[in-house]
Amino acid sequence: MSYDAYLAGEPLIVTAALTGGVHGKEANPNLPETPEEIGRAAAAVEKAGASVVHLHARRPNGERSFATERFQEIDDAVRRHADDVIIQHSTGGTGAPDDRRHLPLRTDPPPEMASLDMGPLNRYDHLTSENTRGLVDALHEEMVDRGIKPELEVFNDGHANEVRGLLERRELADPVYATLIFGPGTLTPPTPRNFLTAVSNLPDDALFNTLGFGRHQLPFATMGTLFGGHVRVGLEDNVYYRRGELAESNGQLVERVVRIADELGRPVATPAEARSILGL
Amino acid sequence: MTCPHLEYRDRTDDRRFDEPRAYCTVADRFVQPMRADVCNDRYELAHDRHCEIYLERARDDTNGRDEANDPEAANG
Repeated sequence: MSYDAYLAGEPLIVTAALTGGVHGKEANPNLPETPEEIGRAAAAVEKAGASVVHLHARRPNGERSFATERFQEIDDAVRRHADDVIIQHSTGGTGAPDDRRHLPLRTDPPPEMASLDMGPLNRYDHLTSENTRGLVDALHEEMVDRGIKPELEVFNDGHANEVRGLLERRELADPVYATLIFGPGTLTPPTPRNFLTAVSNLPDDALFNTLGFGRHQLPFATMGTLFGGHVRVGLEDNVYYRRGELAESNGQLVERVVRIADELGRPVATPAEARSILGL
Repeated sequence: MTCPHLEYRDRTDDRRFDEPRAYCTVADRFVQPMRADVCNDRYELAHDRHCEIYLERARDDTNGRDEANDPEAANG
């Protein structure tokens, strides 16, 4: 992927990260938490131009759940409300035992995609999400068995090495699809130079998705659009629309990046086009 | 054992939720759902190892007790 891909007008895949598992309604009351809220949000972002929804599951009070049954309820709600959007489950889970990290892969049908965190990252002051190579391999193996496309989450430049390591250990279906993540803490520092470096660190034929946390969401989505990548936005990663103003909805954030793509002359992929690009 | 500073509340003066949510009485705010797992010692998490709010409070409490039991500090 490159600026040439932008010039060639290759369609842009917009992923909406609707809910997440870190913050919840205490951060923004408009963040969907229940299956019904998530289902309605999926329909709204699909209408706005998203072709993929990235999903986490929660208990009724917003706290994290890794239960297959809870993911099933959410998927059922998404399919009830949305038309054709691609479902991507998170397998992330700071502090959760490895066996629970597999549970989101076991819905019926399985999600078309699932995230695969490529290595460790710090949370708060005394906690690390380990994401060992053993867990990465085990999750990947189950994804292969169930026909699920992995979305490789690259939280920093060291994780680009982990992508290459995974490619040496395992055979990944083409195209490799990696999300480059920028923000504070363990994440790649959010600068344009680091964005270009992160893109160049990926294997040559890999496709990339661009994720900037907080106020970096919009500028990094714009860079991703310009440099031939794809973009992820949503309330999981950013609860504000602009400084001091909470976002009204996931749809509002999707509408903005779709407007930008349109102004830049990059077509936005339909779910069918996204499936073709991603080889689903 | 859950954190002694954890309460479940469905409202504060300016917030209201359908379901009671994790509230930290030390930080005096609703906490993130992921942090609530730490408060509840769920999975492989433990509030007395992983929560900086709990650890800082415990340190302050210990220092306070030490000062109270220190005769020189009391005379100072």
